[in-house]
Amino acid sequence: MTELRVVGQPLPRLDAKEKVQGQAVFAADVQLPGLLVGKFLTSPHAHAEILSIDTSAAEILPGVRAVITAADIPASAKYDAGSRFHAFLARRFVVFAGQPVAAVAADDLVTAESALELIRVDYRPLPVVRTPQEAIQPGCVAVALGEESFNSSAGSTPHTQVAAASQPEEAEAKGDESPNIANRVIFKYGDLAAAFAQSDVIVEQTYTVPVVHQGYIEPHAVTAHWDRPDHVTVWECVQGAFAARDLLAHTLGLSQSSITLNATEIGGGFGGKVEGIFAPIVVLLAKKARRPVKLVLTRREELVGSNPAPHSVIRLKSGARKDGRLTALEGEILVDAGAFPSGWIMNSMTVLLRNNYKFPAWRLEGLEVLTHKASIAAYRAPGGPNAAFAIECQLDEMARRLDLDPLQLRLQNLVEEGDSLTDLEPQVRVGGREVLNALAGHPAWTDPLPARYGDNGLLYGRGLALGSWEGGRGPASAIAILDGDGKFNIVLGTVDLSGSFTSLAQIAAEALGVSVEKIVIRKASPDYAPFAPMSAGSQTIFAMGAAVKEAALDLRAKLFRHAAKELQVSEDELGIDGEGIFVSSQPNQRRSFETLYQLGTEWFAEYGPLLGQGSAAQRQRAPGFAATIAEVAVDPATGQVRVTRLTTAQDVGRAINPLAVAGQLQGGSTQSVGIALWEEVMYDEQGRVCNPNLLDYRLPTAADLPLIETIIVEAPGGDGPYGAKLVGEPSIIPPVAAVANAVAAAIGARICDLPLTPERVWRVIAGRNNKV
Amino acid sequence: MDYKLKFSVNRQTVKLTIEPYLTLLEVLRDKLGLTGTKEGCGTGDCGACTVLVDGRPVCACLLLAAEAEGSEVTTVESLASNEKLHPLQEAFIAAGGLQCGFCTPGMLMSAVAFLTQNPEPGETDIRQALAGNLCRCTGYDKIVRAVQVAAREMAHD
Repeated sequence: MTELRVVGQPLPRLDAKEKVQGQAVFAADVQLPGLLVGKFLTSPHAHAEILSIDTSAAEILPGVRAVITAADIPASAKYDAGSRFHAFLARRFVVFAGQPVAAVAADDLVTAESALELIRVDYRPLPVVRTPQEAIQPGCVAVALGEESFNSSAGSTPHTQVAAASQPEEAEAKGDESPNIANRVIFKYGDLAAAFAQSDVIVEQTYTVPVVHQGYIEPHAVTAHWDRPDHVTVWECVQGAFAARDLLAHTLGLSQSSITLNATEIGGGFGGKVEGIFAPIVVLLAKKARRPVKLVLTRREELVGSNPAPHSVIRLKSGARKDGRLTALEGEILVDAGAFPSGWIMNSMTVLLRNNYKFPAWRLEGLEVLTHKASIAAYRAPGGPNAAFAIECQLDEMARRLDLDPLQLRLQNLVEEGDSLTDLEPQVRVGGREVLNALAGHPAWTDPLPARYGDNGLLYGRGLALGSWEGGRGPASAIAILDGDGKFNIVLGTVDLSGSFTSLAQIAAEALGVSVEKIVIRKASPDYAPFAPMSAGSQTIFAMGAAVKEAALDLRAKLFRHAAKELQVSEDELGIDGEGIFVSSQPNQRRSFETLYQLGTEWFAEYGPLLGQGSAAQRQRAPGFAATIAEVAVDPATGQVRVTRLTTAQDVGRAINPLAVAGQLQGGSTQSVGIALWEEVMYDEQGRVCNPNLLDYRLPTAADLPLIETIIVEAPGGDGPYGAKLVGEPSIIPPVAAVANAVAAAIGARICDLPLTPERVWRVIAGRNNKV
Repeated sequence: MDYKLKFSVNRQTVKLTIEPYLTLLEVLRDKLGLTGTKEGCGTGDCGACTVLVDGRPVCACLLLAAEAEGSEVTTVESLASNEKLHPLQEAFIAAGGLQCGFCTPGMLMSAVAFLTQNPEPGETDIRQALAGNLCRCTGYDKIVRAVQVAAREMAHD
């Protein structure tokens, strides 16, 4: 393989200069003449029937330009009662506290807020299904709005099903069960009872993870403007412009060509801004007001009524022989989807429990149930942290009881190429072993720990965990165009969520054979860009990068063809450098890129304009593996856990931009620590969120963390551009379990409910010391 | 009743008539078009709206604009001078101290105020100083390193 020049360089983000100067235009920064402020009114009830809505007083308030309710949704829009997308304004029933029921557009925020107070909604409160345990009781109140819900798209477009890697082996339908079981999968293989009977050790525990929020710092923001007859332009912070446009088309009965969807800069998404669930409200307001309208969510609205990650309850029973060979795995997975089903997140969580370890017999039953909460969506490796917390704590407990090294136990049982996955598909070539080996000899694993009960009275512990993730695989497309200044425009419809444009520019530069300064990434709306997958499922480099590489190679081939004719040599006699195409044996015989542009664009040009296209089919599977070692110090007096050292290794196939990759590993690891120690959306008895602010919903701060060491592993596998695999998601999977395992090691007891709050930790320590 | 506000924004005197209930953040973003300062929560918890008021870092969402009367307000837009970036901006770029960039303006303003008072900070000092600025992308590692680099750079100037 020829040496890479641009791929593999740790380059700063191309957009960094504008971002450090506050010049990047985020969705809330969009300004238009005559722009109105949008606001929506939310339901205070988690479940109620709307008997009437009186908007008359709001409508006559000076400065109010439009008031809408579900009655304003065009009749041409097909309604899917089972889809959260279609619940942007409640129809007859509200199904979670915080669901919008009406909205206004007004001259300013104060007028809009005053108008909301004037809207009279008469509710008939109905019984609230708060927890998944309640929800699965036979005879429980049904959360779903209509029979059609389970035949629907399950609340998500096909594009969001990036992680649904498998089909259930068997799905049993049972009689007399709760109406709230939205999806059920069962994966099973082998003689489970016999396998448990042969086990020397059996570990059985139930692990709970609460609802957590993606926590992007930029709240959802949308501006809509009906700027031409039957045409609306939308500016929105979304992860997928094509998906966001589809959502508007489906929910409002519009054609795709009547919508221009501009995906703005996005201030973090992590799965929570995949399609943009609030845009239909704004488009309807703008239509009725005949003026552009901007809606920016408050943090309270975000935490109450957006689409967080699911609460899960996972009961696992696993067995092993004395020598560490795993024997059997049995599990029940209960996923609280909120008021609308997702399906694939529960499926993904279930599959992940057996995917990494060679249990020869297993039975995993996953249930997705509905409750009266805001429905769930993706959050960076959706379901991954939940699954890892369960299975990686099981493995750790197994190692402790067998007195085996936890890392060796994982290596001994690792699912590798050719071994069966949960769904019986054979595993492909993966980097799990490489990742574990990178940590096995690392000081983070081999350094002596401070003695438990150090001089300062703190308890120290170290924990390890592994995680894997399937991710998205395209398809994707892009166009490469030579411009008049000799630079190359890469036109694409994807969203830069994580510095991916910089890495895509590196891929284009590498493929063309020019420097990265010659590449200009042109993000275009679906009006101008060929199809791009959403920036989700870690697929932007893996799949979009493949399309960019293909477009660049196509353009390069045409450059060579034109230059060969011009220079009257054969193509294989030519080379390319930063300035143009030249004859390899006589480098001064050349055509600059500017000249080649002119030869394809001037009047009476001999050639057509230079343009390359990339249209890449779905990539081969290339799951990403990550592993983390966490060290913690626990204060036995307060139960406070402090992460003192964090080391994450991940196989990325090839790091296109190691600086960006390290940043992804550190960001994902930190979010995972947040799930382990602090984050929880809490609900009161009426099903209302009771901590909807960033003081009480606690994100990790700079003061909470150590420096995070990253180890980039490059193992072969897949067919990504230059060997790249998915990067963004795997790093959020193992740290949550590594921290939990470290805490268990430190305090000598296992806590199976997240987050590991000081109270929970203190109670375990104090309980053992007979203090409570 | 409208309020006649006079204050300095990025070294320029600004006089305007505003509704008295507007926050400094609303005036900066909506009246003066300085959208570099971001709103992440509106309740002083995330720090994305951090600006300097008379050199001290303040959540612009928590301050009524009228309270800035006579003050000198500094926003991210003024950090670079004559096309030359501030050492903190340079360091954030080089170290990878930003990803989505939404928290970056507030983060930079907190760091500017901090380094002015603490030219030779340790890692723990930096972390404490930035604990009021939430970032969801980076895990703070590269931000802390960027501030360390900038501190050394500024000490040499």
